[in-house]
Amino acid sequence: MTRVKICGLMEEQHVKAASQADAIGFVFAPSKRRVSIERAQELSRLANNDMQRIGVFVNASYEEIENAVKAVPLTMVQLHGDEPDELIRRIEVPVIQAFSIRTPDDVEKLNNSIADYILVDAPGTDYRGGSGHVFDWSLLENVDLDHSRLILAGGLNRDNVQAAISQTAPFMVDVSSGVETDGRKDEVKIQQFILQAKGDSMERTQEKTIDPVGFFGRYGGQFVPETLMKAVKELEAAYEDAKNDAEFQKEYHHYLKEYVGREQPLTFAARMTEAWGGPKIYLKREDLNHTGAHKVNNAIGQALLAQRMGKRKIVAETGAGQHGVATATICALFDLDCVVFMGEEDIKRQQLNVFRMKLLGARVESVTKGSGTLKDAVNEALRYWVTNVEDTHYLIGSALGPHPFPTMVRDFQSVIGKETKRQILEKEGRLPDAIVACVGGGSNAIGMFHPFIEDASVRLIGAEAAGDGVDTERHAATLTKGSEGVLHGAMMKILQDDAGQVQEAHSISAGLDYPGIGPEHAHLADNGRVTYEAITDDEALESVIEMSRLEGIIPALESAHAIAQAKKQAQSMTADELLVICVSGRGDKDMATYAEKLEGLS
Amino acid sequence: MKRLAELKQAGHKAFVAYIMAGDGGIEKLGEQIQYLQERGVTAIEVGIPFSDPVADGPTIEAAGNRALDKGITLEKVLDEMQRFDFEVKVPLVIMTYLNPVIRFGAERFTQEAKKAGASGVIIPDLPFEHRQLIEPFAKQQELVLIQLVTLTTIESRLEEILKQAEGFVYAVTVTGITGSRDELAEEVGAFTRKVRELSPVPVYAGFGISKESHVDRLRDDVDGFIVGSAIVQAFHEGRIEDIEPLIDAVTAPHSV
Ligand SMILES: Cc1ncc(COP(=O)(O)O)c(C=O)c1O
Repeated sequence: MTRVKICGLMEEQHVKAASQADAIGFVFAPSKRRVSIERAQELSRLANNDMQRIGVFVNASYEEIENAVKAVPLTMVQLHGDEPDELIRRIEVPVIQAFSIRTPDDVEKLNNSIADYILVDAPGTDYRGGSGHVFDWSLLENVDLDHSRLILAGGLNRDNVQAAISQTAPFMVDVSSGVETDGRKDEVKIQQFILQAKGDSMERTQEKTIDPVGFFGRYGGQFVPETLMKAVKELEAAYEDAKNDAEFQKEYHHYLKEYVGREQPLTFAARMTEAWGGPKIYLKREDLNHTGAHKVNNAIGQALLAQRMGKRKIVAETGAGQHGVATATICALFDLDCVVFMGEEDIKRQQLNVFRMKLLGARVESVTKGSGTLKDAVNEALRYWVTNVEDTHYLIGSALGPHPFPTMVRDFQSVIGKETKRQILEKEGRLPDAIVACVGGGSNAIGMFHPFIEDASVRLIGAEAAGDGVDTERHAATLTKGSEGVLHGAMMKILQDDAGQVQEAHSISAGLDYPGIGPEHAHLADNGRVTYEAITDDEALESVIEMSRLEGIIPALESAHAIAQAKKQAQSMTADELLVICVSGRGDKDMATYAEKLEGLS
Repeated sequence: MKRLAELKQAGHKAFVAYIMAGDGGIEKLGEQIQYLQERGVTAIEVGIPFSDPVADGPTIEAAGNRALDKGITLEKVLDEMQRFDFEVKVPLVIMTYLNPVIRFGAERFTQEAKKAGASGVIIPDLPFEHRQLIEPFAKQQELVLIQLVTLTTIESRLEEILKQAEGFVYAVTVTGITGSRDELAEEVGAFTRKVRELSPVPVYAGFGISKESHVDRLRDDVDGFIVGSAIVQAFHEGRIEDIEPLIDAVTAPHSV
């Protein structure tokens, strides 16, 4: 993995922002970024123990250098002048020698350096020690050069660093002006630069940890009873095959278009934009899908796959009933046998959806165990699957469960993010600054986020359910309050007690009322690419009213969590920024709850 | 665990009893183990209650919930076992879902299980592919990690799993969850015969075994039987003596 050095640090908050880097640099030579030894000492204290602290000098004396090494203390020294080999040899810590690259001849000289590392940069302009310009990286190609001692600098920024790494394969990349705004370091740019430089490879190395297949960092896997292993492995192979089959993809997209009604608009919300007084708000309209939510995107994909595998019986779980309805609908369309497990509690609060499933010809099994909600419905669906595994496909409804489910569900839901990306580029000519989606098990959110993961400039925010509040006993805030554990076939984050018993979740929204979060989200939370915030029942209800009245769109209770979070997000954003909300579903199914909770609404 | 191989060599069938630790109160655990070993069972599986036991049917799930209601945890069970003041004469195997172990810490779990006198561990939701999470620690403590094979285990995996099997192999005799059944499927005999041919250690049939007729059917194709739900329910209803004929049917010397 390529290492990252953030150079020319002068302020505390920037050292902190660089905490995921491998090295920080202090400039002791004349420069607008010059710091005193005392200042470097102070800043150095804020960095992690294993961070390399590098001092940058231009033609300094041995005494000056040694003094700084001892005082800060520095772990490496970087030399930008005409320092003689004699001096380099005397320095006890590893030495980086800098070279300006203009011509192939300059490259030739690199191999003569006796320093431990060679730093390559474009020729400086005003003063020595870095130019902020890129040089022609191709000069480094096809020459005999030890890339394990190569440090690449000069004009790097978050947009070009990945390309630079793939072209030059350096030991480390070094950035200074590329993470500045108006001549001053910028925390966001620092973090985004690190993410871009490492994001991809970070994932690749982490996936190597256990059996790499089906893991997102430490999360994922196939933790199922032995009886299911065959089915899970067969599914893995069948999906791998289908994914790369153009015919399968064509059929899937055919149904999305002709049956679901895609693509869905990215609606500019003029009145919400005005009311919130911040960024331009866009709504991704999953509420317009046939059956009323994003769930159908996944149900179609999996139902086609089940048939490809010769399975004509489907079992599913459902919380809000949206996934159950989507599954029952598709089973009617394809003439498949359908059993849906649903918690007793959810059957009560989502009556309308229960009736819809029955009308569509599905068998709805009430689950009275536990809290009678989604977790218990998944347990029963898994037991049913264990017993009927030979001819039945488990059509799981969120980015959960044993591999390949989290990946497969994400892929089927990624149509949300892909459309959004294309649409925002058409409308605004650029990517959004932030995207908010609600997370239950995590399927609409991962489908929306996934196509933007590599776009470091896009902030991704998941809204989970805080129920009565995260500091009460009644919430479903798995990422705020949960810890690592194994549930429903995967290592993920769950709400659990000290003994490893899974706790009951609570949310007014049946679709978010689940004590776990899919493995990919758990991983994205850990590596910081996505931030997750919790929204209470009351905040969500308030957002239902607000969006209904401002935009004439009555959202599902689940989606209302995203709207409430977006409103908070908007407060710290400006009018020239863009904020996208994933409206995962419409509120029809929640009308009984709305009528009860919002009674007396005027 | 060596005893199990010796038993097989002597031509005797094993009877493994499963109990839910703490069903009826933690103090019942010692009593039940003593009772079962007096009655001649070969080994005992000590079940740990879990909130989401997806491999279990209603009987064991209900027993687990009763234990959870009494505040039973993995830690309490291991503590209680360490305090036993009677001689444990049969191998004890801890049967637990993975999450309580992860929460407790895999290494600490194997250390405490060893101190508690356990000889092995069964984790039904830890497939062979992920055994690295537990096996290295179990090995350090000389605990065997018992593997399960089922009617749906594909041939290549079956061979792989059996090659590394230790202690005994748990041959799951139903495609489904635990719980008493009237009938066993047709293909079970052929399945257990195949497993027995390939297995270096004794092969015990479990899941759904609750009647003498099941034992009669499989007697020649396995080295022993594991009985869970029937025992758990009998203890719960205070009529464990009803199980004695089943124990005898398995363990009594038979002409081969
Ligand atoms: C409208 C809607 N949004 C969101 C969710 C939450 O699920 P997920 O996190 O998988 O998108 C549900 C689940 O039922 C839902 O119905």
